Amino acid sequence: MKTARSIAWARRRVALGAFWQGYRRDREGLFGLVVLVVFATVAIAAPLLADAEGLSLTKATGPRLAPPSLAYPFGTDEDGRSVLTEVIWGSRISLLVGLAATVISMVIGTLVGIGSGHFRGVGGGLLGRLTEWFLVIPYLPLAIVLATVFPPDVPRIIAVIIVIGVTSWSGTARLIRAQTLSIEERPYLERARALGGGHWHQMSRHILPNVMPLVLANTTLTVSIAILAETTLSFLGLGDPLRMSWGKILDNAYSGDVITSGAWWWALFPGLAVVLVVRAFNMCGRAIERVLDPRLRELA
Amino acid sequence: MISPARRLALAVTAALAALVLPAVPALAEDTPSPSAKTTFVLGIKQDIDSLNPYVGVVASAYEAYQLMYDYLTGSSEKDFSPVPGLAESWETSADGKTWTYHIRKGVKWSDGQDLTAKDVVYSFQRAIDGDTENGQYGNYVANITKVSATNDYTVVMETSEPSPSMLRLLVPILPEHTWSKVSGEDVGTFANDNAPVGSGPFKLVEAKKGQSYRFEANKQYWAGAPKIDELIIRVYADDAPLAQALRTSEVHMVNDISASVFESLMNQPNITTSDSKYSGFTELAYNVGAATVDGKAIGNGHPALKDKRVRLAIDHALDRNVLLDKVLRNHGTIASGVIPPIYADWHWNPGSAARAFDVAKANELLDQAGYPKGAGGVRAGPDGKKLEFRLFGRESSETSKKNVEYIRDWLKEIGITVTVSIMSEDQLTAVIGEGEYDMFEWGWVVEPDPDFQLSVFSCGQRSTEDGGEISAGWSDSFYCDESYDALYEKQKTILDPAARTAVIKEAQQHLYDNAVYSVLYYYNNFEAYRSDKFTGFVHQPSNGGSLVFQYGTYTYRNIAPVTNQTAQKRSLGGIALVIGVGAGLIALAGVAVVLFSRRRRVTADERE
Amino acid sequence: MTTTTAGGGVRARRPRALPLRYVVRKTVTAFGTLVFVVIVNFFLFRVLPGDPAKAFSPRGRNADPNRLAEIRRDLGLGLPWHEQFWAYVKNLASFDLGVSWGQHAPVSRLIGERLWPTVLLSGTALLLAAGIGMWLGARAGWRHGSRLDRVSSSGAVTLYSTPEWLLGLVLLIVLSDLGVIPAAGMQNPLSELPPALDIAWHMVAPVTVLAVVYIAEYSLIMRSSMLDERYADYLTTARAKGLRDDLVMRRHALPNALLPSITLFFLTLGFVVSGAIGVETVFNWPGLGRLTYDALRGPDVPLLQGLFLTFSAGVILMNLVADLLYPLLDPRVRAS
Repeated sequence: MKTARSIAWARRRVALGAFWQGYRRDREGLFGLVVLVVFATVAIAAPLLADAEGLSLTKATGPRLAPPSLAYPFGTDEDGRSVLTEVIWGSRISLLVGLAATVISMVIGTLVGIGSGHFRGVGGGLLGRLTEWFLVIPYLPLAIVLATVFPPDVPRIIAVIIVIGVTSWSGTARLIRAQTLSIEERPYLERARALGGGHWHQMSRHILPNVMPLVLANTTLTVSIAILAETTLSFLGLGDPLRMSWGKILDNAYSGDVITSGAWWWALFPGLAVVLVVRAFNMCGRAIERVLDPRLRELA
Repeated sequence: MISPARRLALAVTAALAALVLPAVPALAEDTPSPSAKTTFVLGIKQDIDSLNPYVGVVASAYEAYQLMYDYLTGSSEKDFSPVPGLAESWETSADGKTWTYHIRKGVKWSDGQDLTAKDVVYSFQRAIDGDTENGQYGNYVANITKVSATNDYTVVMETSEPSPSMLRLLVPILPEHTWSKVSGEDVGTFANDNAPVGSGPFKLVEAKKGQSYRFEANKQYWAGAPKIDELIIRVYADDAPLAQALRTSEVHMVNDISASVFESLMNQPNITTSDSKYSGFTELAYNVGAATVDGKAIGNGHPALKDKRVRLAIDHALDRNVLLDKVLRNHGTIASGVIPPIYADWHWNPGSAARAFDVAKANELLDQAGYPKGAGGVRAGPDGKKLEFRLFGRESSETSKKNVEYIRDWLKEIGITVTVSIMSEDQLTAVIGEGEYDMFEWGWVVEPDPDFQLSVFSCGQRSTEDGGEISAGWSDSFYCDESYDALYEKQKTILDPAARTAVIKEAQQHLYDNAVYSVLYYYNNFEAYRSDKFTGFVHQPSNGGSLVFQYGTYTYRNIAPVTNQTAQKRSLGGIALVIGVGAGLIALAGVAVVLFSRRRRVTADERE
Repeated sequence: MTTTTAGGGVRARRPRALPLRYVVRKTVTAFGTLVFVVIVNFFLFRVLPGDPAKAFSPRGRNADPNRLAEIRRDLGLGLPWHEQFWAYVKNLASFDLGVSWGQHAPVSRLIGERLWPTVLLSGTALLLAAGIGMWLGARAGWRHGSRLDRVSSSGAVTLYSTPEWLLGLVLLIVLSDLGVIPAAGMQNPLSELPPALDIAWHMVAPVTVLAVVYIAEYSLIMRSSMLDERYADYLTTARAKGLRDDLVMRRHALPNALLPSITLFFLTLGFVVSGAIGVETVFNWPGLGRLTYDALRGPDVPLLQGLFLTFSAGVILMNLVADLLYPLLDPRVRAS
């Protein structure tokens, strides 16, 4: 016998299949996906691709500031470390921080968005207000302030993840709120209420699955913002000084007088990595939007 | 009927035009004729935090005070020995406790008033009485019990003990008639940037914080007029633009640049680089047993560091040559004692008794001290407590961040686990004051009189506790040893230089033998200047010391332009600018044309 | 509720008056956000370890403990937090933002000195970017699918994925040796150029870098709102009437597409602030952005607090302006 639950899931699987069909046809989306898979592979396989000891100052044996060559495809930095090794290992931290911060941001954003859309009265109003406030406050000064006041005992990498997560949820929340409000109008929700469904039931069984597509599209865009944020914060010196990330390489380069020495490889390669990954996430996000929005699909 | 789009375009065009058009008539003018005055521009990296001599703490601030004000005595450019300043001559009483200074006559303040003993007395009295003022100059006046003027040109100071540092009182002499208007409450935030009155070789004319400071030469200066007319100190926050500015002659001299930038300037035409010997050292410091002056233990330092053998072992495991090579790139020398060799008289060198880099010896010492290696290669003491130390590095220094990484890796080799944390200097100061550290990396810049530097290791400079509040003193090792204190007190009161030198050297040896610090290296100061524009730079000391940021203003007063240079007519930059602005205007016009003239539009094939 | 006449286009309107209630409501909301920012600012920094008394003692390490205790009493640090908060608010009202730890000067003075360079730099970049970006986006959106659209959108997405300071850094590495652009700063005291020109010369590189990234953002925004308009029903009518394509765009689609873009222009000002921090740092531009970077060394808490407040207040103000402008520009929106 088919339960309501299994029917719903069957329907979702079909929708997922249709989604994938649509996504597959989107050239931009596919390209972005491929790039992301490549970077993810590099990050996971980092120990196989580059020796971790290559990051250590004492073990660095390469020539200082050497331009790209066969031995050092991305050149070396001022301590003789291979920039390729730094970029490979840096992908781990940059991607990890980006993804972890996104999780926090999406969780907060979704909860607040659904909550402010669903609950009438003081609770919802307060959540809505909160969203508006966080939307207005410029994100980088807020991130800087938060990063500065974090207690020094917390490992910096955790601090950065939390800071980015806490400063980037408001865009998501606003979108989800709008979507929730429109879902609230729908008849089946009224029926669920009439049948005695409580708030939690409504939100988790009805609203959440229906905002999921939007959440998904928004996630990719949030990741790109998070990775950019981590890079900028590391560049300003607020990142974890002991872990290599792409932003940290750029910070090292800037403080290491890359401009005077003209060692363009030191800044270009980590910079390219950032731009490529962020662009890939943006491309996927735009593709998802196109697939989900039938109007846009017609235009593609 | 103006559509919003057009309105927007109009607004944008108007805004940009407002910005650019006023420049057009200026472009049409001839360039202003070159002025006859010579200007010397110094580029520095650290902004002057305050022009108020009671408040500023950074080196560039002290440089500015030397330019604007005078001191009783100065330091010779040859070897730092005391030379007359505002005090032409001086006498000491037989017991060494009364000092009489004869003030130079005929010195005038920049507003025309005479400088007299009254100003000297005022300056010292203020440093003694004022809270903020004493916080700044306290260690120079701590000994002075009374200061008075017996006539317009004689000042008498009485001290509680004989003190050789009475010839090195780096208290600037300020005009009483202007400073008496600044109260004790206001002095902490008084900017002193509005044409302050001074007697020094230069007068501050314009101050733009974070950008530039303009000084005019004081042609009536008592030690001789500077040969240049104007001095500008320009602030650059980073090395790259500073080096670039030197290459394009935007500045004529740079100071305190990093090693890599320095190297990029070497062997450049028309630029002379100076790898100047400096009065600073960098050390690895230990928490030798943090306690207050009353002996109450504070903080949470690892007890193993109280043992001299542990510190000696660590010292043996540090490969200073690698630091010199990789971090300093050989712009410095290996260090042992806390008085750098630039002070040839006071400097102590262990010679052949110097501790060598010896990992085997380090391991041996630790075994002997009772810290055998456990499973996993980490040593532990008899109480089972592992040798796990926290090492703090400084955020603002690239070399610091590198040094701590090397140290961590080296100590791993001898079974000590080190956790590195990088923090700001302010935070580190707070942490040190509370005794909540094991090791850190920092440095000192040593004054010509070693008294202050030696005092830092005395029992009396440890933290104090007052009603639950711990305030830091100057000690960052919390070393407290009776015999050392005795040596310190002794040198404080010996007036005979030779006898004093012997005690000072003994004190340095004591610190070395007890590994109170592991002094890593003496670093050089990197300076470079345009030899095609100016000549007459003075080293202090004469054998390769610093050219600026000295104890004195010798270079500024002695440099002169190389030839009678006329200002360049319409430089390349100017031409590029004209082209750039022109291109911008054209582009703007282009955008405006496109926005406005949609009438002539090809139709059919433009549709979708 | 668009009014189309026989001649097409949106009629010029009499300047609309905004209902007072609307103005008041929006202003109150903006003020509310500011209050929230002030509260966050206050509590956030209470958490930070550090000693405000340091600002007044010249050498923190050697300060007389009695003097420090006295300063703390004066600053009201021992008081219960609500009294401290009230004192903080009162100081804010008289623009007293405290004293900088690193620069030993009142924070409000420091911020005041650096405000103009930031406004000049960011304002110029914004105006350029808005103008060019919106034009580009409108064209791309209208010619959806054309080569212009694809190339400019693709380029825009790439630029949009790039941090502004990174562009600046790479530009400096490549160009600094050539001496094509000035090394840093806003002015060269030695320059023979008149000051306005000297400043403009120093502005070329940072403005270009900022503008390029903003152009990407605004063009994308404009493109998507233009896309919304392009296929709207009312335009079918206009085309059926035989209006030429470009007129259709200019007179009907563009004005309506422009409106959300104009308001989004103000709303994205938060990003301008963030961009300024990175770019001013890399180019050594003596504005609020560079001041923020310098304040991070320390950290100089009172200065950071003051800067955060200034940035937030600026953005809140711009949003209020956007809210008030929008109904004036769009006849479809009733200022309710």
